[in-house]
Amino acid sequence: MTCAEFQAALPYIIDNGGNAEQQEHLRQCAVCADLVSDLKYIAEQAKLLVPMIEPPTKVWDGIKSSLQREGLVKDSARGGLLGSIPLTRWGPANWLIPVALAAVVAVGLFYYQSKMPQQQATAGAQASEGNTEAVVDTPTVPLQFASMGESQDQQVLSEVAAHAPALSPAYQQSLRHVNAYIADARKLVVSNPDDEESRQALLEAYQQKAMLYNMATRHALP
Amino acid sequence: MMKGMPRGAHWVLIVLASCASLATGAENRKEFHYQLGPHASISLVNQFGGVTVTPSSDGRAGVVALLHSGKMEVDATQRGNRLELRTHFLHNASPDEGRVDYQLQIPADASLNVRSTSGTISVEGINSEMVLEGDAAAVVVRQVSGGHIHVHTLSGPIHLANLDQGDVEVVSVSGPVTLDNTDGRMVSVNTTDGKITYNGDFGDGGEYLLANHSGDIDVILPASASVDITATSAQGSVTNDFPLHPTAHSALPITQGKSFAGTANAGSSSVRLRSFSGKIHVKKQ
Repeated sequence: MTCAEFQAALPYIIDNGGNAEQQEHLRQCAVCADLVSDLKYIAEQAKLLVPMIEPPTKVWDGIKSSLQREGLVKDSARGGLLGSIPLTRWGPANWLIPVALAAVVAVGLFYYQSKMPQQQATAGAQASEGNTEAVVDTPTVPLQFASMGESQDQQVLSEVAAHAPALSPAYQQSLRHVNAYIADARKLVVSNPDDEESRQALLEAYQQKAMLYNMATRHALP
Repeated sequence: MMKGMPRGAHWVLIVLASCASLATGAENRKEFHYQLGPHASISLVNQFGGVTVTPSSDGRAGVVALLHSGKMEVDATQRGNRLELRTHFLHNASPDEGRVDYQLQIPADASLNVRSTSGTISVEGINSEMVLEGDAAAVVVRQVSGGHIHVHTLSGPIHLANLDQGDVEVVSVSGPVTLDNTDGRMVSVNTTDGKITYNGDFGDGGEYLLANHSGDIDVILPASASVDITATSAQGSVTNDFPLHPTAHSALPITQGKSFAGTANAGSSSVRLRSFSGKIHVKKQ
């Protein structure tokens, strides 16, 4: 099993432990083991964050400094995703925070993956010729953005249809446009992996989607 | 049916109808007053109709709600320094029937959270944190000094005018965004296909990001503007009619017609313009 195949099944593996082949790969591959470990830790921490009235500033500082360390954002990018979150008052943005956090984590993982060409190359060498393309294309697969993927889109649209049917067409159209934004931004990142502008564009595209989810969900509130 | 009525009866009916109309109008106007402390928190959730917010001259909050039918009521709750207002539907109502127009006068230092599906959200002279959110609702913010302003819309147009030294975050999917004489420490506008127009001098020492996917970005600035600008459109185009000194070692790869970078005067404000397929046009006022 290649790293790409393993990571394509990550949500299942994290939820259910994976099958024997996946567990074997997990034992043998330090990169994937670290990735799973990080994801589980982030998921646990995210659960803890949700009920808080106000998160400690150090949480955001930690995320931000990690992203800065990785070169994903720079300090002057405060107007981006992190800067957009009202740090001093969660208010109605409670629901947005985990989504936004998921987006940040997802982009972080995306970046993380693109930074391990050595391991990917090894995996690619082990893969059959038919799988080579899958390995090369791994960064374009929206796997890491599963929390804001197709099924979540449908769930969000269902909520709008149930609680604000008149707004359904507007949300469907908006979601289509935002997904096109994400797709184009992702292509930019793939074609220019070291270009900060491209990475920022991807973050901003996900910021759009996070906002859209947030607004849609509010219609389900009493 | 009225043909058989004596002429005088017509006038009686008209007068009665007018009285009834006036009485109905009075019933549908609700007025509330609250005493609030410093830095109060006010939230309003409305479905259909406009919301106008202006500063009060004392520490009080005054709320006038005009209900266009009897199918809803206004829930108003004060808990300490927090005031919550919400349109509560008693029956299903069309947008016309369910319309409630609010006029709020609140302390200028109160934080504000307004959500509306349609109508116009208009805020003037409030210098605190505000979150304004509308699906198709237009949002207008004027005359604000300092504060943190967050505006989110799906398709509603957004107009910010005469904002000074605040933090501004605007996110809209398709709503056009216009900023007139708006400067701040951190100003971020992000749309998917909404056009972005900035008209002003970008102040002094701020950081600005105007970004979208496919909408155009127009920037009109005076000769006195002190800016350090980068502009890039991956699949669209960029044009610049403003005198800029080319940046010697720009981090942005410069491609004719696709990107440029330069400074004017001291270059004290950082301005980043980014689009995927939109046209970016910078020109002199």
